[in-house]
Parts: sequence; C-alpha cells; structure tokens
Amino acid sequence: MKFFSNILLQTSRNLQKTWATQFMTLLTVSLSVLIFSFFFLIYTNMIKAGERLGDDLRLTIYLEEEPVLEMQSQLVRKITNFNQVEEIRFTSRDDAYNRLATQLGDNVDVLDDLDPSFLPPSIEVYPKKNLSSLAQIKRFSEYLSTLPGAIKVQYGQEWIERFNYFTKLLRIIVLLSGTLLILTTTFMVAYTIRLAVVARQAELEILRLLGATNGYIRTPFLIEGFLQGLLGSTLGLLALFFLFRWIELHFSGPGFLQLVEFTFFSPTIIGIIIAASITLCTGGSFSSMRKFMRI
Amino acid sequence: MDTPPAKKSIVEIVRATKIYTPDVVALEDISLSITYGEMLFLTGMSGAGKTTLLKLICGMEHPDKGLVEVAGKDLNRIKGVEIPQLRQQIGMAYQDFKLLPDRTVAQNIAMAMEVSYQSIRTIKKRVIELLQKLRMEHKHDALAGKLSRGEQQRVTIARAVANSPKLILADEPTGNLDSKTTRLVMELFEQCNISGTTILIATHDEGIYKKSENRVLELHSGRLVQPADRTISTPNNMP
Ligand SMILES: Nc1ncnc2c1ncn2[C@@H]1O[C@H](COP(=O)(O)OP(=O)(O)OP(=O)(O)O)[C@@H](O)[C@H]1O
Ligand SMILES: [Mg+2]
Repeated sequence: MKFFSNILLQTSRNLQKTWATQFMTLLTVSLSVLIFSFFFLIYTNMIKAGERLGDDLRLTIYLEEEPVLEMQSQLVRKITNFNQVEEIRFTSRDDAYNRLATQLGDNVDVLDDLDPSFLPPSIEVYPKKNLSSLAQIKRFSEYLSTLPGAIKVQYGQEWIERFNYFTKLLRIIVLLSGTLLILTTTFMVAYTIRLAVVARQAELEILRLLGATNGYIRTPFLIEGFLQGLLGSTLGLLALFFLFRWIELHFSGPGFLQLVEFTFFSPTIIGIIIAASITLCTGGSFSSMRKFMRI
Repeated sequence: MDTPPAKKSIVEIVRATKIYTPDVVALEDISLSITYGEMLFLTGMSGAGKTTLLKLICGMEHPDKGLVEVAGKDLNRIKGVEIPQLRQQIGMAYQDFKLLPDRTVAQNIAMAMEVSYQSIRTIKKRVIELLQKLRMEHKHDALAGKLSRGEQQRVTIARAVANSPKLILADEPTGNLDSKTTRLVMELFEQCNISGTTILIATHDEGIYKKSENRVLELHSGRLVQPADRTISTPNNMP
C-alpha cells in the first residue's frame, strides 16, 4: 500500500510535468495501433474469405487415356506426394459423357450423332481448403500437368491469381504497418520518457542522494510506458471498432459486403494487440532509462 | 579493530586521500573514527576540505587512496541495493541545500521519507513536527525557491533529520542563521543525539562548539590537525 501510494504519487508528478508530450505520444501510439489493426483486420478477413472461396476450388486434369486401376493408384500417390488433398475423383469417358448429357437435359439429342467417347477422361483434384494450398495452386497445376498422360490442367486461374496477389500485397502492408507500429511506439515512448527524465534530472539526482532505490526511481517511468501502451492501444482499437461499425451500417446493403462476411477481431486477438503494445511501450521506456539515467 | 562493541564505530576512515582532477588535493591522509551516538564538530578554514570529508562519508565522492567504512560497509566495495540502503540511514544537510525550488517546503522534506516508503500519514506528521521545532510551520506550503537563505537552510536540515537516520552530516548548518535560530537548530540536533543519532557538524561558527564538551576536529589544507587546547583522540578519550 505504502509502496503503491508513493509510486503513484511519483507517477502523477511525472505526468504533470510533461503532459503535453505525453498526450502527443498517446495519440501517436493510438494512431499506429489503428493503422496496423486496420490492415490486419482486412487481412484476417481475407484469409477467412479465401477459405470459403476455397470450398469450390478444384483442379481438373484431362488425360489422354483412361487410366487402368493400377495406374490410378500410382497417380493418386504422385498427386498426394506434392500436396495434401481433400479428395481425388476419377472421371471416365462414359462418366463425362453422362454428366454432359444430364447437364443438357432436354437438349440431349444434340449428342446423338457423336461418338460417346469424344470427351477425354479426367481426374478432379480438390486441394485442402487453406490459404497455403490456394497460394500454391499455380505450382500445383504445373506439377499436375507433368503427370503421365496429362493433356491439360484447368482451374479458376484468373480469380485465384488475383486473389493471391491481393493477399500477398496485404501481407506486405500488414508487415509494414506492424513495423511502423513497433518503431513509432518504442521510439516515441522512449523519446517522451527521455524528456521526462531530463525534465526531472535535478530531482532524480537528489532522490538518489536521499537513498532512492533504482526501483523507486524507475517504476514511475515504467508505469508511464505501461499506461501509454494500454491507453494507446485501447483507443486505437476503439477507433477501429467504431469505423468498422460505421462501415457495416452504411455499406451493408444487399450484395456488396454481404458477399464476404466481415467480422471484427476475436477477444484473443484484441488481447494480444493490447499486450504487445504494452510490452513495446514499457520496453521503450526501459531502454530509454537505461540510456539516460545514470544510476 | 579491537574496540569493544559498545564503542563500535559508525564511521571509520583510514588514511584517505582525495584529489580532485587534475591536482587539487582536498584531503590528505585522513584517519578518523566516529563511534555510534557521538556528536562532534569539524572546523577549518574555507577550502580546508570539510565538505569533501562529509561527501566521502556519505558516498558522494570516493577517496583516491585509503578506506572509508560506514556502518561496517566499505564504501569502495559497496554496490547494488546496499548503496540506497546506506544512504537512507545518512541524513545530510548540504551546504548548497540541494532543494527543489519548484516544490513546497513540505514536499522537499517529505522526499527523504518517501524514498523509504513511509506512509503518507507518518510523513505528514513528521514534517509538521519538524517545521514547528524550527519555527517554520507557516512556510509549510511555500515554494522552496521563494524562501530566504536562512529558511532554505532550515528546510535542508529538516530533510536531513526527517527520516530519523543513524548518522546526520550537517554542512555549515548555521551559516545563514541568527543566534536565536541557531539555538533552535542546535537543540534539534541535540535531541536527535540524545535519542542515539550520531552527528557530525562541519562549521566555522565557533559559538556552537566553543562551550561544548564534544570532540572538535580541525582540518587544515586537507589534513587533520590538533586544535590548540584539545586532543584529537581516539573515541576512547571521549567524555
Ligand atoms: N568538485 C570539485 N572539483 C575540484 N575541486 C574541488 C571540488 N570541490 C572542492 N574542490 C576543492 O577542494 C578543496 C576543498 O573544498 P571543500 O569544499 O571541501 O572545502 P570546505 O572546507 O568545505 O570549504 P568551505 O568552508 O568554504 O565550505 C577546495 O580547494 C576546493 O576548491
Ligand atoms: Mg564546505
């Protein structure tokens, strides 16, 4: 109790002396958290959307010859060697013909004059539904086209590549804004703490002569860093949340955003972002003290 | 040392020399021991090295040669948390006061007790008590920077005494005070001494030590000399 009331007294004295800078730092921290978590939120939602889109994902390998049973198991082995798959389905010439026939329905008579074996046999590969298999799809299809007897491999090339490009770009943006977050928070906090240390140099000198321990002198500054991290990240996340709600309210007409269901961070992610900010700010404060406090 | 336990020394200085860079010999070959509960005076001309000697004892300066031991701790070897622990046991009234001008009198005095995590209530009571003893209760909330020198002097003395340290080092505590206020300060020191605190007072003010029974040390250009009609003695010769 005595310890805490003393330390809190010290902290409030610190804050009084440098509140303007402290406030600027708080804003910087919140803004960095806002920018980072904004892109991170989009990224996590993209990943979720990617998983959902992946449900319809399949690669079709057209073959020259219908593979015999022995050949089929060999092909399965080769395919699963490269990538994990959900399912492999073989389609014979007859299956393909029948499927086309059912698809044509009433117009089935157009097939009458044709040889039922005009459609090539094929293998349909359903990759595992995760982002990495989505990202690898091009290499996977290239690999599949080297399988013995393969003529051609088909998948939804265009949108998948666009999607991949977009997630890659987002990942870079997330990494950059994450770096920005780390740099600004630690440097800004270190800078403010330095100012606070300098502003109180005379006092710290006297405190040391009076027998103040390192803990007594440092703890208020660490608490400052801690508060910067806690308040800054909470403010940033709150701002993002209200932005998110606003977008939801104004753009959630039929169609558009409904297409990809947008969700906010889970409590765990929120906790991690706040904890990380606190760690960064307290660390910044600590490193600044090590540099500028002669203890 | 084979001094009996009752006469154990709180300060033990053996052949200490202090040279300020580049070549100011402030103290030379000083040997001194002060027993627990003693009250003694340190005199000497301006520049003789009184302040330097006090700084050696409180660990603000280190000797270039020799040994300084306080409460059994060698100040050259002491490290980590022992330093603040020892400093909390030493109350120093600085010649240049070392007050924070933008804090109130009460806050300045409280600092000495805050560093050892005393409760706020204890601190408040003690501050008021000390200010009353020094006739400064009306300056409780005045800014230290706005005080007269004599008032600042009393604040630094109150701060040195506040935490009830084992050892009080007072550097020229009455330099700016009239004789009546000097009396108040000396009464405060005597009270502390009666309750067991060791007190070392550096002073030019002959008035405060002439009639006293206590030991008087004299510095002359950095060396301890023997005052005319007294003996610089081992603690054993004390009254
Ligand atoms: N930090 C310093 N750097 C260099 N020289 C110093 C320093 N402090 C003190 N001195 C010198 O050391 C000598 C002793 O100084 P000290 O302050 O101990 O004297 P003093 O006896 O306290 O004098 P006074 O009675 O005027 O306070 C002086 O010659 C002084 O100039
Ligand atoms: Mg002096």
